[in-house]
Amino acid sequence: MITRKTLSRRTILKGLGTAIALPFLDAMTPALAASKLPGDTPVRMMFAYVPNGIIMENWNPKYEGKLNELPRALKAMEPLKDDITLLSNLTNNAGRAWLDGAGDHGRCCGSYLTSVHVRKTKSDILSGISADQIVANQIGSKFRFPSLEIGMDDARQAGDCDSGYSCAYTNNLAWKSQTQPLPPILNPRQLFERLFGNGAQLSPEARAQQARIRRSVMDVVVADTKKLQATLGPTDKRKLDEYLSSIREIERQLEKAESDNAQINPGMDKPYGVPADFAEHFKLMTDMITVAFQADMTRVVTFLITSEGTSRAYREIGIPDGHHPLTHHFNNPSQIEKVAQINEYHVKQLAAWLSKLKSIKEGDANILDNSMIVYGAGLGDGNRHTHEDLPTMIAGRGGKAFKAGHRIVHRRETPMANLYLTMMDRMGVNPEHFGDATGRLDGLNLS
Amino acid sequence: MKAQGQGNLSVGILFDTGLGNRIDEALAMALLYGLDGKNEARIIALSVSKPNLKAAAFCEAIARFYAGASSGAFGAVGRTLPVGMAEHGNQPEDTPMLTTPLAKRTEDGKPLYSHGIEKLTDTAEVRALIRNALAQQPDQSCIVILTGPATNLAQALDLPGTKDIIKSKVKLLAVAGGAYPSGAPQFNIKADLAAAKKLFAEWPTPMVVAGEEVGAALLYPAASVEKDFAWTPAHPIADAYRAYQPMPFDALTTAMAAVLQAIRPQENYFKLSEPGVITVLEDGRTKFAAAPEGKHRYLVLDAAQQERVLKTYVELASAKPVPKQPRVRRQQQQVEPPKPVTPKPPEK
Repeated sequence: MITRKTLSRRTILKGLGTAIALPFLDAMTPALAASKLPGDTPVRMMFAYVPNGIIMENWNPKYEGKLNELPRALKAMEPLKDDITLLSNLTNNAGRAWLDGAGDHGRCCGSYLTSVHVRKTKSDILSGISADQIVANQIGSKFRFPSLEIGMDDARQAGDCDSGYSCAYTNNLAWKSQTQPLPPILNPRQLFERLFGNGAQLSPEARAQQARIRRSVMDVVVADTKKLQATLGPTDKRKLDEYLSSIREIERQLEKAESDNAQINPGMDKPYGVPADFAEHFKLMTDMITVAFQADMTRVVTFLITSEGTSRAYREIGIPDGHHPLTHHFNNPSQIEKVAQINEYHVKQLAAWLSKLKSIKEGDANILDNSMIVYGAGLGDGNRHTHEDLPTMIAGRGGKAFKAGHRIVHRRETPMANLYLTMMDRMGVNPEHFGDATGRLDGLNLS
Repeated sequence: MKAQGQGNLSVGILFDTGLGNRIDEALAMALLYGLDGKNEARIIALSVSKPNLKAAAFCEAIARFYAGASSGAFGAVGRTLPVGMAEHGNQPEDTPMLTTPLAKRTEDGKPLYSHGIEKLTDTAEVRALIRNALAQQPDQSCIVILTGPATNLAQALDLPGTKDIIKSKVKLLAVAGGAYPSGAPQFNIKADLAAAKKLFAEWPTPMVVAGEEVGAALLYPAASVEKDFAWTPAHPIADAYRAYQPMPFDALTTAMAAVLQAIRPQENYFKLSEPGVITVLEDGRTKFAAAPEGKHRYLVLDAAQQERVLKTYVELASAKPVPKQPRVRRQQQQVEPPKPVTPKPPEK
């Protein structure tokens, strides 16, 4: 008879001011049940948002059904085309002007996950509870973080960011309540400390001082790590080693970014420790999301890749112009081409990260399989500010629930909120109604 | 409440039709576009209750004929108005008034009346369309016109929050259907009895109803189709009319009466009954009971106005399309790009 004491899924490696949650290990399952996940499949729900719309001619394939050749904006997703679902004709009616005039950027982002037409104001903001937070409220208490809010661009919460709309609308995806957005963490070090530390907020000077004397978190938890390793089989040892190495690699990237900040451009307009290079920043943030998923720290993430209406330049790929002004291209081919390149650049970063998620085994599947990662924008055509046929892609199968590898075209005016309801169901939260939904989304589920 | 930068908007019309069932609905659409061309009405949404792609396609073809592709979703520019369509319901079959004009081709083989509807996903989910279109309008600025079965409107009433939106945005529902004060069961009512019962029982705004007796008493002259629509060699309404049944025939105008009364009530083309409540009976007949607080009224023919009404029908239905300039953003021309969205510092 084979007996084995199972390791708790919530085991943590501890050290001074440090707590590292563990990935799924075979030792966490009862004997003879290796590769079976303890408890339910850890299905994650994530929204990754890009601003200013997409060049839709480069996004929508000219066909429906099984994905074959992908259009230009999605070319980088080719190796993952069996893992994604493209959804067409989804509409966010709440983002339209109604009677409020200009301000589509503020409206579309503020309403993206709430499906509520936001109040046009610079001060007394009003939206709704976002879909991610409905899930976080319901299941979040079981996890170290009910949800994580991450961004890369701008977290200002006050002031006018678009024609009378508060920056709270353009700079947040998650809304805890009608009046309380959850600002994203932009700074990789801050996110790292949230994931692995005691969460203390440090000033840039204190952070730099600490960096000079900092030991790796690996050093801090070395005693616990050795103790754990002694109890693990060879497969688990390898898994743990890979996992801790990935955290160490994140630390190295952080140190490099901080060193670059200090030496290259101390006056840069970015928080201390934020890589100047978009791709590096993206990688750092998504690597940490990976670890958070691996260790089951959270099931709910929102990722505002850049803020809605951002005028960020992409010098990394030879585009010094601001993203937002470029999207008002008025059919100028040169401007359209630049926007197309930005769209491709974003998807390229995403594809690299999704491939990594796919490579990490989890039970008899992988992390990507067990996730629902929506990548999309709150505007369709950024030039005309359209709110119908929003570019929307889901990566992952939500834990063997979704048939991936297809393009599903829905009827025109089908609410985005229908997608959120479908995803909430998959998260075990089954609200009767949400936002302006007319029902669940057809065609996504396997059954 | 007025829309920012919109000036004085004409009344917004949500037009729901059983296009393909009866020719008066096509004539009513022509009449509606005649009023739209005179800026007396502003079409905000089109939907068909006939669950038939050709009905939706012909509806879009008519919209394109009158408005061209510059009419956009709910006032935006670029895409044609989405056409909503019932997914299920009665009378799903093709009819000659749909198939004949849609089958016509130009000399180079292209459809004579262009449209973009080939499959279900080219149409809009009708409950969302109705709700979305109305939600964007100023309070009490819209009229809903129903010229076919009540399938779509009854479904919209069940969508959470939509009844409240209708109550705040819509000032009137104009219906073509029933017979008043009494009469035989009428086609539009019978076509979806459950929906008609629900509509008359639950619709939250005042309602004015054109009964079949109004349409039967004032027939549209076949001669007008041949003469007044001849300003163009290809007119979708005229082609539908000729295909509906062998020419010459004069057509019922029930649906036209509903449109005309809805948009030009001040012209007193018709008399109105006293207020009351219309109930739909199990056999499809409609029953009117006078009640001072009732929200329903039906049209009563005014013999003194009949000639004038008919003249108005002909004049408006055969009117040439009036091209409209896009209202929002200039396209196709190089203009200075807008200023970037740059956050301002917080206000103190």
